[in-house]
Order: sequence, then structure tokens, then C-alpha cells
Amino acid sequence: MGKIIKQRSTWLFLGLISLILINLSGCDSANSKGTALEHQVIESQGQRLEIIKQRGKIICGINEGLLGFSYKEPDGSYSGLSVDLCKAIAAALFDDPNQVEFRHLQSKGRFRAVVSGEVDLLSRNTTWTLSRDTSGGLDFPPTNFYDGQGLLVSKESGIATIEDLSGKSICVPQGTTSQTNLVATMRKNRLGYLPLPFDNTSQLYAAYEAGKCDVVTSDRSELVARRSQLRKPNAHQVLDVLISKEPLGPAIANGEPAWYDVVKWVTYAMIKAEELKINSQNVDSFQDSKNPEIRRFLGLEGDMGAKLGLSNDFARRVVKHVGNYSEVYERNIGEPFHLARGTNALWQDGGLMYSPPFR
Amino acid sequence: MFNQISWIPKLLLAALVGSLMFSATTGGHSKKIAILSSQANAVNQPPQQSGVSQLDHIKNRGYLICGVNGELPGFSFVNAEGKYAGIDVDFCRAIASAIFDDANQVQFRDVTTEARFDVLKSGEIDLLSRNTTATLSRDADENLDFTPPIFYDAQGVLVNRNNNIQTLKELTNKTICVPGNTTSYDNLQDYLHQAEISAKILTSDDREALFDFYEQNRCQAITGDISQLIVRKTILANPQDHIILAQHISQEPLAPVLIHQDSQWFDIVRWVTFALIQAEELNINSENINVYHKSKESEVRRFLGMDGTLGSDMGLTNDFTQRIIEQVGNYSEIYERNLGQPFGLERGKNALWKEGGLMYSPPFN
Repeated sequence: MGKIIKQRSTWLFLGLISLILINLSGCDSANSKGTALEHQVIESQGQRLEIIKQRGKIICGINEGLLGFSYKEPDGSYSGLSVDLCKAIAAALFDDPNQVEFRHLQSKGRFRAVVSGEVDLLSRNTTWTLSRDTSGGLDFPPTNFYDGQGLLVSKESGIATIEDLSGKSICVPQGTTSQTNLVATMRKNRLGYLPLPFDNTSQLYAAYEAGKCDVVTSDRSELVARRSQLRKPNAHQVLDVLISKEPLGPAIANGEPAWYDVVKWVTYAMIKAEELKINSQNVDSFQDSKNPEIRRFLGLEGDMGAKLGLSNDFARRVVKHVGNYSEVYERNIGEPFHLARGTNALWQDGGLMYSPPFR
Repeated sequence: MFNQISWIPKLLLAALVGSLMFSATTGGHSKKIAILSSQANAVNQPPQQSGVSQLDHIKNRGYLICGVNGELPGFSFVNAEGKYAGIDVDFCRAIASAIFDDANQVQFRDVTTEARFDVLKSGEIDLLSRNTTATLSRDADENLDFTPPIFYDAQGVLVNRNNNIQTLKELTNKTICVPGNTTSYDNLQDYLHQAEISAKILTSDDREALFDFYEQNRCQAITGDISQLIVRKTILANPQDHIILAQHISQEPLAPVLIHQDSQWFDIVRWVTFALIQAEELNINSENINVYHKSKESEVRRFLGMDGTLGSDMGLTNDFTQRIIEQVGNYSEIYERNLGQPFGLERGKNALWKEGGLMYSPPFN
């Protein structure tokens, strides 16, 4: 199967080159061809997994400006936890984490891009909420980062709890759920404070750094990334306090059960690999494992991959090319931003990361 | 994993265990008793053929049909009063409350382990709520979908306190009883192998015989799903002499199952589960919900449907969470009524995420 796919991608590659050549020669047929293809995609509901296999790559909708989650590096490559999920799916499907086309989506049009079929997957720090799940035409595979609204303070401020916010000035992005949640939290705790709302995120952090507010409140994932860009990151900290729940994860279009299961079980494969202590460095050493659970997981026995429409060693490919959840977390979030696992730890370590059994 | 609790003579169970149970009836009104019987009702057409949504199909019928175990105390069984009770049963009642404003609009059908998925696929039941482990192979069946777990079970080990065994490692050179031809047996073998523990295995297809061996100390430990061990423990000669070890052999997330034909139906079942969890997190229960009708907190108002259109957007009424909480309760109430109080089973992994467990709901907005 791998061979067939490789041949296909070679053909696709040749096709792509010829399209580029056509384009260079001034003909615009490439564009109209692209539109026709997209129409075809929309009409084939339920066939998404097959379409992706035939295409030879997945199309992932991302945010290219969020450090740690999805970020376009100066060299043009992409990094982050959300990006790595796309790469893991490509590894499972094509044994090649690079068979991904990343499309930068704005916050505003992101859901339309998924529902219309323009992207196969939205992997763009998106909170799973009821209304998005039930009336947005979307399905949410498992959460891969439990985020929440948090608080950024300077260490010298001595602020450690919600109660300590009494009488402080708080910078908050205007017109967001962060602002609504802040109002609700302060009212609930009967605390007085001075809100400083900002439209522009960069201006907000500039104001904080200039000492115009004592606290910034926003999603913790944003706070840790922005903290790292402050002049003296070590003088500041993101508190271990959660004001709201923001489970971030991928989203796909409704009505694609086979594709849904692939995204779901690739996510679980990274968690299960961590639980089994299998990582990208040691995965090859498990090829001789006699542990039946590990043999099943790595596809040395059984046909679990085939049941998902994948190769039986899909989990091995994911771990080999991208790593287990811990590696992905530490590489993108833990090491760069010193953010402890917390709710993102394995279930057995007090977190929420849990995979149903691979059997 | 044990197919049924055939190891327990039913009458004995009803007499001994039933007396320990709190009634799991869901209070309130019973306009019309739709708990008919567990006989098949051939009138129902699977909705796939009619082009009607699953929700409309259920509404037109006037009641929900839930496939349950029927013989597993704590999960789904007929209690001493002749009523279905258990966490799986209450989950079905929660869905009926959301759809019909009447927790009693459910018909329960007992289905066997072997037949359960076929019965579901035939369209005979709307939902399988029957202590079923979500696994990859089952989930990958393109017609089946698991909604979020309502009980994180695990394969556990029951030991006699007098043998002074506290960890699985201490089973070295001991004898462990396990029923033959079950996943429990396979999991035990896998585990002993993996943990490099050399223990003897005593097996039999006759589960009652195994418990006799255990009581006679011919085996120093007996293993099975915790949900089932807690029940069987209550009818040992001296239940207080036995404990379930804190370490587990395998994970068994028990979850409802439905046919993936209709995203709306999937969403409803999923968000009813989350509503039970979120209500507990907001400290709203069947006793105090009236107080919250006057709440000014935006999160509470949205959750209870006083603001916004979260319910109607998925084909329910905006107050669907109120109906569930009033008639069935929040997750904690369901858990305590069916498992905590009767069997002294602590929440453990089934606690809220804030309290060290895995029960987590995405936000209601």
C-alpha cells in the first residue's frame, strides 16, 4: 500500500510541476482546474479519507502566528503542537510527515474553510464549544491541549490568586470571551478592579510591559507565548489559576466518520505511546517486544490499523516521525515556555490525557 | 468484560444486594409509564430507510428505546421494586428528560453481550447504554460511534486483607483466579508478562466455582472489572475482609454507543453527557436548581437555557439541561445513587477534572 501511495505522490508531483510550468507559460488553466477539483470535493461527503489518500497529502488549516501551536518559522517551515498533529496524521497515512499542505486561516473564516471542504482539518487553537459542535457543521475529535483563561503577572507584584486581583488594573483583549469571563469572575468574587481593554494584542502587551496594568488575562497558551517575547521573561509568570475552560483541538466537517476516526486515533496513539513509554528515539527497539499490548499497538500483531483504513503500523509511523504526546508537548510548549503539563499530563499523572484501549 | 454476571444467582442477588440499594427512581411525575417490558417491539422501523432524522423518529414514536444489560447492579438491573435502575439506566432517562420533559419515556430492552452491536445496527434500539468498553476495533467499525465515557472502569484485583497484599507486584508466587475465555484472562496474562510478575493462574468457566476457590484461599486474588467485583464482593461471607487494590490491570472506559448516521443525534447524546458533568461543576443539582433560576451569572444562565439558544440549535428545547437536572440529577447524584452509596465505590477517575478525575465538559457556549 505504501508503494502505491508513493507512486501516486510521484505522479501528483509530476502533475504539480507540469501545472507550474503551464502557469509560468502564462496559461491560466491551472486556476480553473483547482476550482473544479474543489467542487468535486464538496460533493463527495463521507469520502474525505479516500480523497486524501488519492491526493497524497492532507490539507491543514492553521494559524501561522501562534508560537507553540502553529507558527511559520523564518525559514518557511511550520512548527507547533497543532502543526505536529497534522504531521502525525500525514505520517500515519503516508509514512511521511511532510505530506501536509498548510493553509493559513484567519479566525473569522476558519470554520467555513472546513465545512466547504477547502481544508481537511482545522488544527488552529480552536476551542471546542457546544454551539460550534452542534450548529457549526463541525465535529470535534479529542482535545489535544486543555487550555484555559489565565493570568500573567510580574513576579514582583506578589499576585498569586484571584483574590489578589482586588484593586488591580487588568489588561484584557476587547470583545473576547476573555473580557466576558473576567467581568463574571470579578463579580462572582466581589472584587473591585480597573479593566483596561485593548483591540490590538501587541499594544496590550506593550502597555503591560510599560507598567500601565498589573495583570494580563487571556488564554494561557497566548500568555506563555507572549511572556517569552517580553524583554525580561523571567521577571513574569503565568499563574496556575484557570478562569475558564478552553479545550483546544482539531475540527473536521460533519458526516465524515472514517476520517473522524483517523484523526481521533492518531491523537490517541500519541497519548498511548507516552503511556507505554514508547518515543521516537526508542521505538525501533520495541520491534522485538514480547509485550502483547505493545505488539498490538505497533502493528506487529493484529489488524487494528487496517480497521481504520490505515496501515497496521500507523502508530509506529506516528511515533517514529513525530513523537509521542510528551515529546510533542515538550518540544513546542514545555521547553520553550516552561509550561508544566498540568491538565495536559497523562491521566495517571493527574492530567486529562487518556486514550481508550488499542484493542 | 465478563459477559453477564451469571456467577450470581439472581434471586440471591436481589435479596442481598437489592436491600443495599437506594431506589434509583427519578422522582417526579410519571404521566405515562413507557417502561413496557424488555420484549422486542417489531413496529419500529429503523429511521435510515425513512429519511427522517433519528431525533424526529424518536419524537414521533413518543419514547426512547435503550439497550441495556439488565443484570448488572449499579449499571442496569431490575431492582427490588421491579424498576430498572443503574447509571446506564439513568443516562437513558436523562436523554428522555431532554427530549420529552419526562424521564419515564424510555423503553429498556435487555441485550446480551454477543448480540448488542447487531441489535444496535438493526435499528431496534436508539442507543446502547450497556457497560460497553470503548476500544479501537469497535470504534473503527464505520457504523458505530462511542459518545464520551460515563464511567471509567478498570480491571481490578480483589484480595483478602488477611493476606496482606497491597500492590500487584506482591502477587508474585501467589495464585490468581480469573474466568476462562474472557478479556479479563487475556489482560491478566498480558499484564503479568509485561510487569514480569510470576504468579499462578487458576481458571474456570464456572465463575461461582472461582469465587468458592477464592473464599477457600485456594487463590489469594480474583480479577475482573471493578464494576462487577464491587457487586460480587457484597455477597462474600465477610465482605469487609476484602479490598480491591488501587492498581489496575487494564483500562475500560465504559461509554454509550450509537450508529453514526446522524450528526444531530450524536451531538445530543454527547452533550447530554456533558450537561450532567457541567451541572456538577456548577454545583447545580436536583435539590437546588430552583435557586439558580434567578441567577445573574451569565455562565449559569446560558447553561440552563435562560439566555441563548444552545438547546434549540441542536433540536432540543433551550431548557433541556434544567429538565435533566430536575428529573435525573447531575453526574454526582447519579453516581452516588447507583454506585457510591450502595457499593461504597469512590469517585476515583470518575471525579470531576478539578478534583483529580477525568470528568470534563467542554464549555456550554
